[in-house]
Amino acid sequence: MNTIAITGLQKAFGPRQVLRGIDLQVPRGELLGLVGPNGAGKSTLLRTLVGLVTRDAGEVAVLGRDPNDHALSIRRDSCYLPGETGVYQQMTGKAFLDFALGFYPRRQQGLYDRLLAGFELPLAQKVRSYSAGMKQKLALIASLVPDVDLYLLDEPDRALDASVRFFLRSVLLDLKAQGKTIVLSSHHLSEVETLADRLEFLLDGAFVAQERLAAARTRLRSHTRVRLAADVALPSGATVLAREPDGTLVLLTDRDPLLWLRDLPPDAVQSAEVGIARLEDLYQLLLDPTTNQRGGHS
Amino acid sequence: MIAKKTWREIRVMVLVYMLILELLAIPVILLWPDIYADLQRSTLLRNMGIDWLKRIGEGVGNRDSDVAFINWAAVMLFFRSTNLVGLAAAVLVGTGLFARERESQTFEFLLARPVSRGSILWQKFWPCALGVTVPIFLVNASAIFWSHCIDYDLPRWELFLASLHAAIYVLCFLAFTTWISVLSRVQAHVAFWVGGFTIVQIGIYLTQRIRQWSLFRLADFEWYGPIMTGNTPMWEMFDPIRGHGFTTYLLLATLLFYGLAWRALHRAEL
Repeated sequence: MNTIAITGLQKAFGPRQVLRGIDLQVPRGELLGLVGPNGAGKSTLLRTLVGLVTRDAGEVAVLGRDPNDHALSIRRDSCYLPGETGVYQQMTGKAFLDFALGFYPRRQQGLYDRLLAGFELPLAQKVRSYSAGMKQKLALIASLVPDVDLYLLDEPDRALDASVRFFLRSVLLDLKAQGKTIVLSSHHLSEVETLADRLEFLLDGAFVAQERLAAARTRLRSHTRVRLAADVALPSGATVLAREPDGTLVLLTDRDPLLWLRDLPPDAVQSAEVGIARLEDLYQLLLDPTTNQRGGHS
Repeated sequence: MIAKKTWREIRVMVLVYMLILELLAIPVILLWPDIYADLQRSTLLRNMGIDWLKRIGEGVGNRDSDVAFINWAAVMLFFRSTNLVGLAAAVLVGTGLFARERESQTFEFLLARPVSRGSILWQKFWPCALGVTVPIFLVNASAIFWSHCIDYDLPRWELFLASLHAAIYVLCFLAFTTWISVLSRVQAHVAFWVGGFTIVQIGIYLTQRIRQWSLFRLADFEWYGPIMTGNTPMWEMFDPIRGHGFTTYLLLATLLFYGLAWRALHRAEL
């Protein structure tokens, strides 16, 4: 049985069409990664699933229920972490967690203790003294600890440093191992890629077809990001695709990029990355009007 | 949960509000004998060209000092203290109810909890409603004690009825502010709209020929005076057909504003 089943979902805010015929099936126990540029419709999609936004057209079933009619019941059995989560500044961390978790009948005490130990938050202090990362950790505890069937996390790794993101990844994988369904959006493509069972790329309100996404990522693997020493001219055999503000060049080489790099003079290369698919590169490629084709995907 | 949180947020404000009401009540009662003596010597208020000021002057300058004291209490405890301080408290408490949630980006977090929007509104509203109305009853009850200190008495039932009317008047403003708070994204906008509305109402009230169209007309001395002196029984307060029914009008306006707030919250998108 699918935890989430969406067919032809459409939503507009005034003249702006935010979701354009989304089709999506998420089976129980799957961890789905949603990626896409800002304004692509990721947050609106997640909000629609918990009934915070009413759809204009299409069919949506979450845990077998329509969010337009059964939003409250869906929210009882799921947990949603908003993308721009504010936490109550005047509360202590402990009071905030008691408040947020008090709405749910069951909590995962073991996970609560694990997250508290892992995040090392000063719960006795007022939230107003917390950093952005600490506030995000607090919001994460409030969203992951309720014992529910579905977790919808809008950029859960926002403002978190690498070690905390790694810890969060292990927590999410454990939740998945328990059979929980998780949908998360993120800007960290490589991390979502290693975490998620499946990746959906949302672009301008529609999913990019998986074949097109795969082709774009294959093409990206041949990209080389290189920073050359100041006095070194670009050797032949490479085309510059982009020049970043810090001087890094994004190149497409005529032959195997590793071989091309090996043949450069010693000390010419300050740094180099081969085949690392950065989300912004993927956006650039997918937004290229010469190759842009949209398509729904289930 | 939400009600408890709301109460925690407003409890200091409520305490200060009650203290202000009390501090305004004590001197006007304890100084009454001297004030009454001054009023007997002066004919200024009674000879005022403005009708409603003249009626206040006649009420507080009544030859029967007990009746004059009751009229004095109606002017000072209700027309002055509750109308102004109560209104300010209702506006201050109501302004942040939803606009602050939006400002601090907790609005979406709150709406995403497994609780209905109607319940969110109610759990935010009722602690505020109690916070702005209960002090009116408590402070006015304490006025009985203070008046005993100067060998005067205030009629208990009439004091309760006037307090009830004042409480509903303040509640009406709280409901209005709550509605505007649901519609607004920042607290300053709420203060601007409610403040603007109030100033216009005061302006209308102070303009001789159109003052009957002001909301303040529903809660002025010409209403509190007869309640306090026993000339307006309870049925007349609530019966709009045989009596004035002013209290019922305020109650209906409160329900209307609450209903508008409920509708606005249900329609609110993020």
